[in-house]
Order: sequence, then structure tokens, then C-alpha cells
Amino acid sequence: MNGLVKDLTGLIGESKVLFQPEDLLAYANDATHYFRTQPPDAVVLPTSTEEISRVLSYAYEHYIPVTPRGAGSGLSGGATPVKGGIVVDTKRMNRIVEIDRANMTATVEGGVVLQNFHRAVEKMGLFYPPDPQSMSVCTMGANVATRAGGPRGVKYGTTGNYVTGLEVVLPDGSVIKTGGKFVKQSVGYDLTRLMTGSEGTLGIITKVHVRLLTLPPETRTMVVVCESLDQAAEIVSEIIARGAVPSMMEFMIKLAVTVMNTFVFPPLPTDGEAYLLMEIDGTAAQVEHDAETIKAICRDMKAREIREVEDERVARVYWKARSAMYPFIMTIFKRAITEDITVPRSRIPDLVRAIQEIAASVGIMIGLAGHAGDGNMHPTVLQSEINEEIAAKAKQAIDMLVRRGLELGGTISGEHGIGIHKQEYLDWELDQVQIDLMKRIKAAFDPRGIMNPGKIWVEGGQQ
Amino acid sequence: MLKLENYQEIINKCSHCSYCQATCPVYLEDLLESHVARNRLNLINQVLILRTMPVSQRFREILDRCLLCTNCTQTCSSKVPVDEIIIAARAEVGKGTLGGLKGFVMSKMLKQRGLTGLMSKAGSLAQKIGVAREMPQLASKSFDQIYSGTIPAQGEQRGRVAYFVGCGTNFLYPDTGVAVVEVLTRNGWEVVIPDGQVCCGIPVIAEGDLAAAREMVTANLKVFDLDSVEAVITDCTSCGMMMKEKFSKLLDADDPLQEKAQALAGKIFEVTDFLQQKGLSETPPALDKTFTYHVPCHRGWSPTVADAPRNLLGSLPGAELRELEEPERCCGAAGTFFMQQRELSESIRSHRLEQIEASQADTVITQCPVCRFYLSAGLTSQQVTHPVILLAQAYGTVQP
Repeated sequence: MNGLVKDLTGLIGESKVLFQPEDLLAYANDATHYFRTQPPDAVVLPTSTEEISRVLSYAYEHYIPVTPRGAGSGLSGGATPVKGGIVVDTKRMNRIVEIDRANMTATVEGGVVLQNFHRAVEKMGLFYPPDPQSMSVCTMGANVATRAGGPRGVKYGTTGNYVTGLEVVLPDGSVIKTGGKFVKQSVGYDLTRLMTGSEGTLGIITKVHVRLLTLPPETRTMVVVCESLDQAAEIVSEIIARGAVPSMMEFMIKLAVTVMNTFVFPPLPTDGEAYLLMEIDGTAAQVEHDAETIKAICRDMKAREIREVEDERVARVYWKARSAMYPFIMTIFKRAITEDITVPRSRIPDLVRAIQEIAASVGIMIGLAGHAGDGNMHPTVLQSEINEEIAAKAKQAIDMLVRRGLELGGTISGEHGIGIHKQEYLDWELDQVQIDLMKRIKAAFDPRGIMNPGKIWVEGGQQ
Repeated sequence: MLKLENYQEIINKCSHCSYCQATCPVYLEDLLESHVARNRLNLINQVLILRTMPVSQRFREILDRCLLCTNCTQTCSSKVPVDEIIIAARAEVGKGTLGGLKGFVMSKMLKQRGLTGLMSKAGSLAQKIGVAREMPQLASKSFDQIYSGTIPAQGEQRGRVAYFVGCGTNFLYPDTGVAVVEVLTRNGWEVVIPDGQVCCGIPVIAEGDLAAAREMVTANLKVFDLDSVEAVITDCTSCGMMMKEKFSKLLDADDPLQEKAQALAGKIFEVTDFLQQKGLSETPPALDKTFTYHVPCHRGWSPTVADAPRNLLGSLPGAELRELEEPERCCGAAGTFFMQQRELSESIRSHRLEQIEASQADTVITQCPVCRFYLSAGLTSQQVTHPVILLAQAYGTVQP
């Protein structure tokens, strides 16, 4: 046992410190294993805010890098301990502290798995909409840290829209409580918002207060087969403008549907150029009304086919297949890098065409699906082999995708965060004044630079 | 062959998405990244394939702390066969040949039948020396002492099936076997029980003893006359998984029995799955039971095996199926795992027992004899049984 491990053991107990190489290896990367460089020097598994505080004040005192971690399901490399040091695994802080029906709020520890929380509130007829597609494993503190979102973003927004308060351990070990159970607050700077999307660079989120909605009693799934990309985009805009906003609205090209069809039954139709997979929710009357509105719009705009999925079980299979798309393509390709550029939704056809052009000009396959309603697209750069030539092509394609997304008035990341993956593009989107301001905020929180170093911006300034 | 070198490419199919965390019973207890499939695979890759790390004590612990339940594989979009990779790794680190009492039971007993007396002695010896606090009691009369040979169909014959009698049924729960024979024959199926069947091999592959497993696979393949039967029936989901997915992989590619192994894979059915697909000749009149269904982990080899008991029993007059909160959650038994990792298994089981209590059912059905034993041992007032036994009771051929 080295000094670091001995000290950590003294702080929080032997059973909560990992140091054997076989264990450390498991914490060397998140879902972006290609960013793995080195394992951490130690992993801690705290069960309380107090323990995290002790670890951070120790790390602060000794200038030791700290990388916070939830499920390690992130797609930006945010939980990768690029400088070694200590990984703080928050998964054992998994208590749902309170679900308050009277106030429609809940308080959870940072390590609560999102799906477990969904189950708990839904049993009480309540609803917490944020639905990153890793919800079966991802944790709520990390959802806040990455501002995670998912298909329901179109109607209900993302994690940031539900967080009303936080408990955070700052890099020096001090603990702050921001916001609270109330939904309104006008007291000083909104540090809750600042922490939301901070990617573990400002502190560790140990407790989260969220607001809740009532669970919509009915849902219905519909599939619209569109003649063209433009038609799909026009239908999306019209549906939203008419107020029949679906709870989920996924856009897919034929390739994505073909992939999905290899593991769903009955298969989806594949005779269009673009596809919309939608779920509408609400009371029975509302669902009926919205379904009629959507069908009328699709008919008027001459969609190729509108299919209502009658069987609830089949609908679940379709949605499950949609959420499993990313890991599934790994059965076919050796590496897949999923982007999350987001454009104003009217520009989706331009983006889709640009993606197809980029794929053709670079000579690499790019799969495509995305959350149509909010313009958040997931082009996935597919690599059939792992070698330098293909890696260079993938890099070139991603550069072009990001560039094009920005030209269309979009953003480089809708919901995954910057982490390592997008850091070189940060100054493509943000001007230097803003980046410098962010760095000054970072320095105010973390003057010794121990929290999740090597993330968001490239070390030593933008290139 | 289940050789690690054949899995190198497949290990790289793991995208590290971490979705396996959602269903791994061991991970859900330990909440350690090192105890979940994506990291087990990466570690095996580093230690045994890339050789960047040594075979250490900790590595062995991580390998041993896996139930081989296949929940990760079923959750995995890339369908990485994690169980096979763990088995191959266990074989490679030389766990392969078993010693001691366990080795004696595994290698001698499971390869032969008609040794109930000896088995029983070994069992009581194991209890005396404290190998396991909870150890299944052997039935006073094994199934092969009750039924053998060919049992004709009752009424008009619809066809003929062979019955593979697993060790769980033969030695621990012959009542399952009796119900299988009675329900199948009642539904017009002639049942052939080939002589010379031995264990399916799953207990020994779990130990990485591939040579012993191959002997068992070979012995079993030799006794079946596949051309003369429509299907081979098992009542155990783990035996079923072995025959459907592993027999062929345990033989060399050029083994003369390879073709037969693949033919068997095409004909193997779990008994309720078979009955559901073929339809019952006659629906039983009623079943006065409130029951719940513990779906065994080894269900991935048939897309319909988990729905069969629900469909066959759930709609009978008087029957009430109360689904568990997580119908497919593991009970922690996993062959002999619960004897080796007692604390972990008991912890996994405790969640399951709570869910069963919450269902307020008085009977639990499951198609795995080890789940049946292990859940029974943890429950006080509920009975655990095989769905085919309830079906036989509904027909009135077996008394509750």
C-alpha cells in the first residue's frame, strides 16, 4: 500500500478504497474506452457527503487530481482520469432521500440510478421526464453534471429544466447547498444552474432536488414514413406549431431503420427516405386529440404512411431498439463515435444532407438518428477497422460535421457535454472572451486545478 | 472449442456502454466497476490475451465472482457471450481440474446415473464437513428408478419426443420428471427416455473443466436417436441452454458428433415452451392457485420460454398469476455458486425473497431446479415448484 492509499484508508475506511491494478483498470475509462490513457492511482467509494468532503480536502491539500464518476456511461470522456489521481465513484450514494407528493419535488443522492428513480416516482403517479438513453445505469448527480437529455426533451426539456437545488462538495472540501425544494428563487447568482453542465470541474454533486410532474396516464406510439428529408422536417415543425407536441419524436434515415429492423418484430416499413418515431402522451382525450391532429397534418402534407402502433408491447420493443441503437451498431463496426450536434429544427434537412455529403466526400460511413423535435442529431461515425487511416478519416468527418452544424446556427453538443471529445471544438462555438470568463470561474472554484483536470478546454489554451 | 483465443475479436465488440450494470446481480450487490461484464472482459483481455498484467489472486477472485447467469449478455446489444469468455478464462488459468469432494462429485457422479446411493452418501458427508449449510436433500427415489424406456401416449398419438432428464430432476426433484411424462403423454406425445444419459455438463464448465464437459456432451449425444423424435424435451432451462448453445461449442470443429450436436440444438425445447408451441390437446379444467413466476436466468436460448408458463397457466379458471416486481431478477443460486460464495448469494436472494413476499402469492413457479431449491430454502410459507407440476395438478393427474 502506498502513502496515498494509506491516507485515503485512514479517511474513509479500507472497504471504500480500491488500489489493486485489476480494480483500477475498471475505472480508467467511461463509455469512450478509446480515450483511456492511464488508470487512476486510487478509487474511493464514499457513502456520504462527509466522506467526499474529507477526500476532497485531502486531495486539495496535496494537489492530487480528482475525477468524479457516476455509471461511467458518458460519451464525452468526462469521467476519464487523464491525470491519474483519485477517482470518486458516487454510485454508493444511492438513496432516494424523499419524494414529496404535496410539493411535487424529490431529493436524491447523486448516485441514484435514473431508472430506479423513474420507477419510484411513477409508482406514486408522478413523472420525472429526463430520459438519457443510458437511463438503466446512469446516475442523477452525473445527469446534472452533464446536463443530460434524451428523446423527451422535445416536450419536457432536459435535466437542467428540473433541477431546483443541489448539494455540492467544492474542491477544497467545503459543502454548499444551492437552491432547494422551492421552484422559485431570486437570491444571488444561480449556482444551481452554474453547476448544471459543469462536468465535474467545479465540484462533486452529492444531492439533487428536482421538481416532478404528474404521470400522463396514456401514451401512444406512431410511425410516420416520409417521402423526403424536407417533408419530415416540415411535418415536425407543423406538428409542434399546432401544439400537438409529442413526448418523444425521433428522426431516422433508412439506414437506421434497417439496423433497428434486425432486432424488432414486426419490422418497421423501409420504403421512405425519412422516418419519424413518435410517442404522444396525456389523458386519453388529449392523446386522441393529438393523434388526430398529427394524422391530419401527415395526410395534408402527403406523408407516405402513418402507422399507429396498437400493441403496447410492440411499442416498447421499438423504443427499446431505438435506445439500444448505439451499442447495437458495435455488433457491425469496430468503433462508433456518436456526435450530438444540435441545430434549429428547421435546419434538420440541411444537416442531414450535409452529413450525407460529408460521408461521401470523406469516404466513411455515418449512421444517423436523432431527436427531431429539438434538432438534436446523433450522426455516428462508423469505423469498420481500427487503423490510422480510418481514424484520420473519422476525425476529418467529425471536424466537418461540427463545422457544418455551427454554420447552420447550431451547437457542438446538445446533451453529451464537452469532456475530452469536444474540447478542441470549444472555441469554434464560444469566443475567447467567454472562454476566459469560464476559466476565471473555474479558478474561483478550484484555484489548484484538481477537479477533473484535462476536460472542457485544451490545456494551456485553445489551439 | 471454448478457447479464449477464439474470443479475442468478440471481446472487442464490447462498446463499454455499461448497460450491463443494469442487470448483473453481482454488480448490483457490490457496486464495483471491476465486478461487471465490460470490465471483466477488459481485464481478461489485458491478462490472458494481451498479457499486459499477470494472473493475480485478485484476477482469480474477479473471475470467480461471476454467476454465469447470462443477464449481461441478454442486456448486451452486441450480444457478447460473457459467460463463455469467463468459462474459457477459468479454463485457461488452470482451475480446470477439480480436486477434493467437489471434484469427486462432479467428475465421477455426474458422468453416471444409477448411483443415487453413493450420491446420497457424498451429500451427507458434505453436510457433516460443513461444505454447505444449505445443501439440497436427495430424493428417496431418483427419477430413473421411477420411469425409464418408452412411455406411450394416452389417447391418440400426436408424435414422439425424447426426454433429457437433468440431474436436478433425477436426483432432487423427480416430481418434475413425473409431471413431464404425465403431461406430455396426456397431450398425445409418446415419451422416450434414452438410456445412458448423463449430466449436461453445466456444473463442470462453470469450473472451467472443459475436458470433463466434453466427455458428458459426447456421452449424451451418443444416446439420442434424433431422427426418430420430433423434439428433445428438457424441464431445466440450464440443461436447455447447454444443448442449444454450448454442446456444439464444446466439441472440436471437426468432431464427428458436431453435426449431431447442431441437430440436437434444433430440437431442444423446454417442456412448457414445447407444450405452448404445439398447443394442449385438452385445456385443464381449473387450477385453484395464486402463483408468481420466478423466470430463470438461463432463458436467453429461447425467445418464448419465459412466456410459456404464463400462457399455459395464467388463463386457467381459478388461477391467478401475480407478477414479481422484476420477474427476471436472479435469485443468487447459480449451480453450486451459492455454496462457494455464500454471503453474496444470500444477499442477492434476499431481494428476491422480499419481492416474492410482496407478491402475496402462495406458490412460486420456476423452470430451474437450483432456483427451486434455493428459493425454497429461503422461504417459510410459500411453495416453490415447476410449472409443469402445476399443469399436472390442473389435469388432476398429480395431487397438490
